[in-house]
Amino acid sequence: MNNKLQINKLYTLSSENRKFSFSVPLKNKIRIGKRDYIVQLKSDDKFGTYILWKNRKYPVEIIKSRQNKYEILFNDISYTFTVETPFSLQRMKVLSSKKGKVEQELIKAPMPGKLIDILVREGANILRGEPMLILEAMKMQNEILSPVNGKVIKVHAKANTNVMKDDVLVEIKVE
Amino acid sequence: MKIKKILVANRGEIAIRIMKTARKMNIRTVAVKTSFEPFAMYLSFADEIYDICENPSEIPVFLDIEKIISIALETGANALHPGYGFLAENAYFAQKCIDNKIIFIGPSPDAIYKMGNKTIARRLALKNKIPMAIGSDGNISDVEEATTIASKIGYPVIIKAASGGGGRGMRIVRQVEEMEKMFLIASKEAEKAFKDPSVFIEKYIENPKHIEFQILGDTKGNIIHLGERECSIQRKHQKLLEEAPSYALDKNLRNKMGEMAVRIARAVNYYSAGTVEFLLDADRNFYFMEMNTRIQVEHPVTEIVTGIDLIEQQIRIASGEVLKFGQEDIKIKGWAIECRINAEDVQAGFAPDPGKIEKLILPDDPYVRVDTGIREGSAIVANFDSMIAKIIVSGKNRKEAITNCKLALDKVWIKGTKTTLPFFRLLVRNQNFQDGNFTTAFIEKDLDKYFYYSEYEEMLAAWFATKLFIEENLLVDSINVDFENGKEMSPWLLNKRMSQF
Repeated sequence: MNNKLQINKLYTLSSENRKFSFSVPLKNKIRIGKRDYIVQLKSDDKFGTYILWKNRKYPVEIIKSRQNKYEILFNDISYTFTVETPFSLQRMKVLSSKKGKVEQELIKAPMPGKLIDILVREGANILRGEPMLILEAMKMQNEILSPVNGKVIKVHAKANTNVMKDDVLVEIKVE
Repeated sequence: MKIKKILVANRGEIAIRIMKTARKMNIRTVAVKTSFEPFAMYLSFADEIYDICENPSEIPVFLDIEKIISIALETGANALHPGYGFLAENAYFAQKCIDNKIIFIGPSPDAIYKMGNKTIARRLALKNKIPMAIGSDGNISDVEEATTIASKIGYPVIIKAASGGGGRGMRIVRQVEEMEKMFLIASKEAEKAFKDPSVFIEKYIENPKHIEFQILGDTKGNIIHLGERECSIQRKHQKLLEEAPSYALDKNLRNKMGEMAVRIARAVNYYSAGTVEFLLDADRNFYFMEMNTRIQVEHPVTEIVTGIDLIEQQIRIASGEVLKFGQEDIKIKGWAIECRINAEDVQAGFAPDPGKIEKLILPDDPYVRVDTGIREGSAIVANFDSMIAKIIVSGKNRKEAITNCKLALDKVWIKGTKTTLPFFRLLVRNQNFQDGNFTTAFIEKDLDKYFYYSEYEEMLAAWFATKLFIEENLLVDSINVDFENGKEMSPWLLNKRMSQF
């Protein structure tokens, strides 16, 4: 029980490989840029269950939950997340690094935006789930994670440049 | 003859739409209560309810000609409004009403029959010099004939069901090799859907705009048009968003197309409300496609920009009144956009998502009109269409209408099923849509995904998933929740905990 509470961080991964990290205990504030915004889970007869954020209500529902996998309906869109502890994330990385087949993986921009930071260099080894780039879109910084374990063979991305959706940013040789 | 009581042979939002106008005109209405949805919202808008729940049947009563006629006679309704779908474009049914001295609120059986049969409609259009895609003179009897004609007019061609409509029973053929297969598929589909395997062939117009004209005619031969609607935003020939007027038309083209629409209506001595559909190509050539002899789902956008209640006009015309306005009196004012909010999963290719509507809050701003037959607790049942509501938004111009649309969409609150809302949220943010730069191929060709969500929304959803994980895994044995947010524990978890005691 007590050691469970020693977990101080959780990583929530979307099915499209976006990674969100949250501290434990979970704060009801989310930082965007330099400001904290309060997020609240509420429920009443009129609206049902909803999330209140920046004075706007968003309908929210659980579609499915199984172990650490959650399918959430939020504002009419369904999302699938897996919630990982630092330990389970590490285990996942180790497990996936043991499988191996040689092929190339192209990392494309998931949305148009501005590249803020490039975290990988050509020739570097990279693990699945490791952030490679930071892309700013709609004033929010998004980490682009490596979907595979491998070696970075080409970095097309340059910091402080704008990219279009589906632009190839990084090429990885899968290991 | 004066209409005193109308049997509304329909359900859902269109039944309510008809009953609202009838009430305004001091006409009584009868609704039919079916076992499919005995608690449906439309029932509470009628003056009388005819209950057939005790005799449930597989097919909806709204398709049962004998039963509907007998209900009208039994309830003393001297008129009947068919709405859209069901028996609305059934010439035999319209004639049956007349035979039983029930006023059919719609056009003559003859007009329904002629426009319903696409080969007859084509011949009429040809005879009246209405621009039309070149094609076969009549029905095609076999694959050989189809191949001969197609090679004459040039590929691509489209095979259409003679008795079809509403986008069903159509097949595009791009090369001669596909002809045999497509011909057989189209013919089979036509037989299944319309009980008539006959098909005809037309030149296929690539990437057109769908432009339709609203027609009103009275029984004295006055026929006018109420301008156009653009319905190019469609998927698999099913309309999703309609607007009036169209960005693609100027005054000249509007007059020219409107004139042709009136001319084809005149060819069948059309009365009541009707819609003439055209395709408009990139060079602004237009082609007559078909005429729909009913009130249409998208009629509200025309009502908003013309200020004319189309149901009221249908009722007046059916009781023999003469149109009180002429073509010169029709002024198009402002812009209107209709979004069809359906219970469909846009993340799963618009698959229907029937279910119970648990929460429903609809916008009530002055720039929004909502036509719906659904309320909290209603079920979207598989037997009927998946429509939840039509959100009809107006503005003084297209830009303002789109802005208002964006606002209105964010005020719609639906829980219980997935909906087409994320699709419309995407659409109103799309540059090509905003610029009026789209055709019927827009959804298939211009969009790489069918839904919108902001990055914040995904993050908030992730926050919610994380919260659930913490409550279910890290706090599970702890009664004394002492976290700063512990008091905001999710209701599901609370229920789960309670049930453990």
